[in-house]
Amino acid sequence: MSDLELEMHINGRAVKRRAAPHLRLLDFLRDDLNMTGTKEGCGAGECGTCSVFVDGKLVKSCLMPVGKANGARIETIEGLAPKGGDLTEVQRAFHKTGASQCGYCIPGMVMAATSALRENPDAGIEEIKERLGGNICRCTGYTKIFEAVEIARDVIAGRLSAAALEPDPAGNSFIGNNVRRLDAPSKVSGRLRYAGDMVMPDMLHMQVLRSPHPHARIRVIDVSAAHALPGVACVITAADVPGEDGFGVFVHDQPIMARGIVRYVGEAVAAVAAEDVLTAKEALRLIKVEYDELPAVFDPEDAMKIGAPVLHDYAPTNITKHIPIRKGDVEQGFAEADLIVEDYYETQQVEHAYLEPEAGLAYVDHDDVVTVISPSQNITHHRHMLAKIIDKPINKVRFIMSPVGGGFGGKEDMIYQGMLALAAMKSGRPVRLVYTREESIISTAKRHPARITYKMGLKNDGRITAVEFKMISDGGAYGMSTEGVMRKAAILACGPYDIPNVKIDTIGVYTNNTPSGAFRTFGAMQAQFATESHLDICAEKLGLDPFEIRRRNMMQDGAITHTQQTLGKVSIGTVLDAAETASHWEAGAPGRGESRSDLGGEGTRAPCTLGARFAPAVAKVKKEVA
Amino acid sequence: MLTCDHYLMPTSLEEALMLWRGAPSGSRLVAGATDILPWAREGRAGDVHLPSLIDLSRVKELCGYTVEAGKVRLGANVVYQQFLEDETLRRHLPAMPFCAIWFADDQIRQQATLAGNIVNASPAGDGIPPVIAMNGEIEMARLDGDRIVRRTMRVAEFLRGPGKTALGPDEIVTAIICESMEGYGGSFQKVGQRRSLVISSVCAAAFVKTDPSGEIFEDVRLALGGVGPVPLRLTDIEDMLRGQRITRQLVADAAGLPADRVASRTRRDYRRAVVRGFIEAAIEDALVACGAPQPGPAQREAAHV
Ligand SMILES: Cc1cc2nc3c(=O)[nH]c(=O)nc-3n(C[C@H](O)[C@H](O)[C@H](O)COP(=O)(O)OP(=O)(O)OC[C@H]3O[C@@H](n4cnc5c(N)ncnc54)[C@H](O)[C@@H]3O)c2cc1C
Ligand code: FES
Ligand code: FES
Repeated sequence: MSDLELEMHINGRAVKRRAAPHLRLLDFLRDDLNMTGTKEGCGAGECGTCSVFVDGKLVKSCLMPVGKANGARIETIEGLAPKGGDLTEVQRAFHKTGASQCGYCIPGMVMAATSALRENPDAGIEEIKERLGGNICRCTGYTKIFEAVEIARDVIAGRLSAAALEPDPAGNSFIGNNVRRLDAPSKVSGRLRYAGDMVMPDMLHMQVLRSPHPHARIRVIDVSAAHALPGVACVITAADVPGEDGFGVFVHDQPIMARGIVRYVGEAVAAVAAEDVLTAKEALRLIKVEYDELPAVFDPEDAMKIGAPVLHDYAPTNITKHIPIRKGDVEQGFAEADLIVEDYYETQQVEHAYLEPEAGLAYVDHDDVVTVISPSQNITHHRHMLAKIIDKPINKVRFIMSPVGGGFGGKEDMIYQGMLALAAMKSGRPVRLVYTREESIISTAKRHPARITYKMGLKNDGRITAVEFKMISDGGAYGMSTEGVMRKAAILACGPYDIPNVKIDTIGVYTNNTPSGAFRTFGAMQAQFATESHLDICAEKLGLDPFEIRRRNMMQDGAITHTQQTLGKVSIGTVLDAAETASHWEAGAPGRGESRSDLGGEGTRAPCTLGARFAPAVAKVKKEVA
Repeated sequence: MLTCDHYLMPTSLEEALMLWRGAPSGSRLVAGATDILPWAREGRAGDVHLPSLIDLSRVKELCGYTVEAGKVRLGANVVYQQFLEDETLRRHLPAMPFCAIWFADDQIRQQATLAGNIVNASPAGDGIPPVIAMNGEIEMARLDGDRIVRRTMRVAEFLRGPGKTALGPDEIVTAIICESMEGYGGSFQKVGQRRSLVISSVCAAAFVKTDPSGEIFEDVRLALGGVGPVPLRLTDIEDMLRGQRITRQLVADAAGLPADRVASRTRRDYRRAVVRGFIEAAIEDALVACGAPQPGPAQREAAHV
């Protein structure tokens, strides 16, 4: 390998370095120069967390071999504002509008916004949207970001006073007033360090060997060649776990690394900690694993059949959790109904796609405290589980929560922290693991897909007499949050409606698919999708307005839910009123087709198009024609 | 992850050709790297180690463009953002700004070359339909002893199927040569799952020239992408329209023709449904670019019932 001799100006400073020939500009900035304001959300040009200026043009540094930057002028997020000086107008505007939730996309967004306004200081909102089109945000949402760019544009142009960047006056209450985020300056300036940005002296890099099979018995894992590779500090497998191996939110059915059996494609089988990522990758190729493939099951209904492959001995029916709820007498309720409507709903598996891929750093400190830094959404629970797994008293295990670059429930499970702890213990050195986007998608939990059969009995006036609701959910290979998700789905299954007779079953099932886990709404979304769709269908069959059918069934203050919870205040009525007004709803039953007049009105978004920056040219042609 | 023993940055064509000829087998040429880097990732080629990567972006002969004798010669290093921002290119290649605006995003367009797009030979490559509609040719160079020899062929013939081209093992693409379409109106239609960073499910390019009265199709060029192994030039529709009086009915009839030529293996019905509207919209937008009045949404809908 012949190193490149590089010279460039980065944020106004001359830099002269040798670098490995394959590095991307992103790697050079982050790993060689420790400038971690520029992030890696995907490594494939899709997300924009890595945007930097090269000779004045914004590019994605994950798509630029570092050789291309030789001799260039580079400007990164760290260089936008003078050291120790004020933030730029763009950065301050992001602070002002609260455009920095998890913050992981924000350095890239600030760069794209800066570029948009440099390219066209008068860019209109459509052009701003287009110019920021290469940058994705998963949590702030785009509204505040676009609002910030417009404010910055107007302040820079002098159309708006700089006072617009100052905090709004605080009222007597935080409620109803814009409150500035304390952590925004660190995010808009790229100074905030996420786990993957952290380094420690003598740190090792981890790579993980994953199962290519959905279900297989591991006959042998031979790590000897990997272990012998120069630069490898340690190789770990399930055999290295000193304590009681098992984690999960409800049932501790998942080992730190596959123990004897792999149950899904992407499950960790072994991990290497080495001096650098390349050596660790090379070591993975030297690990020999012999598998005996086992029959696998991918459909939750098949998994419940007699004779289906069993994933976990403790659950011979493959049922992770069944939550049955009964209220009143559904048969009686259906008998009283004027109309019975049955239907079937399906929702799919969904990836969280937080912009920060999983990352963590572990070390054993001077007092033998095993310390794991990671964006864990549940450090206390993780700490307790890890103590058991590594057989240490709780005071010798410490979890530090690094800034979470988006979680949405997906970082509630302790999927890699155990491996980091083991490797730090075995090697005696700090160890860091940073997932690639692909690894994150392949191996981490997803939203539970659901299949829901719905049966509803109604009177002609729309009042619901009975509901039978059955949801079968693919929980994948391990329990994780499945039990909780099934509980929540059962609790919220019938929505905010007062229904006298209810029969609910939610069933989470083991399969050899990627595990399902916590994800925003925790089961409610799946149930609500079915309930609300079903109500619209019933409204159509009864010739009722969809708002009206809901009003006739909605709970009132003091209602008792089907799980016997008394609700003090119920706001569904207010919500329906607000939604009806905001949508300019024209009363009537669904299925009116073109005859209705509330379509395409105020607030309707025009179909997606591009080319806002051509608008002046097009307008010119039109004028010439006219 | 892509690793290599050497990352080389020649500055002249001769140097590049020498390096390329001498490169150990498995070495690759690099232009913008926007196809090559994502290719070497998990789920595609995975981790790849190559002996040499020869980066062409500093080869001076491949930079810039010239317009001469009714032809535009685009050096292989011309990137997509130039089609959007360069006044001269916009005038001579009037569908390219619209193609460029739908291509990836502003950042990737600073790096991605048209030549790389063509050599990559993806059935969904956005730059290919407009180029074949402009009777585009591709120029390649190689060393014969120490003499540089060049050959040129139609891009439509250069493309042999998904990922397959007529490029020889020791050749480097030096230019893409298109007819100047000055005086034509150009347009580009694309449908994908979002508006930035999206690979085309279907795309269409059109160039239209009207007579001075604006009432007769003097010339029409049409091509479709994403509908089969290689993009499709629609010469029969071009012939059907050329010389005819422009009417909505004629455009609608023409647009109905190509659906059965959609040969993609996936989502075929969807693509067929899209193509009809696309041809119509492509012609209409190109007409508007020539100065015709913009049809309102109602007029557009009317033609589809
Ligand atoms: C996020 C993202 C979005 C994208 N969006 C789009 C899109 O909307 N539409 C679209 O069509 N494509 C898209 N692409 C694909 C890619 O950007 C284009 O195909 C681009 O034009 C490739 O050009 P490049 O210069 O980057 O090629 P490179 O990656 O450098 O090279 C591509 C291939 O061409 C060869 N090559 C390059 N130059 C020469 C030469 N002079 N002579 C011989 N061989 C050569 C290389 O060896 C390689 O095989 C996207 C890519 C990404 C990552
Ligand atoms: S675009 Fe570069 S990391 Fe995602
Ligand atoms: S703030 Fe944009 S991804 Fe979290």
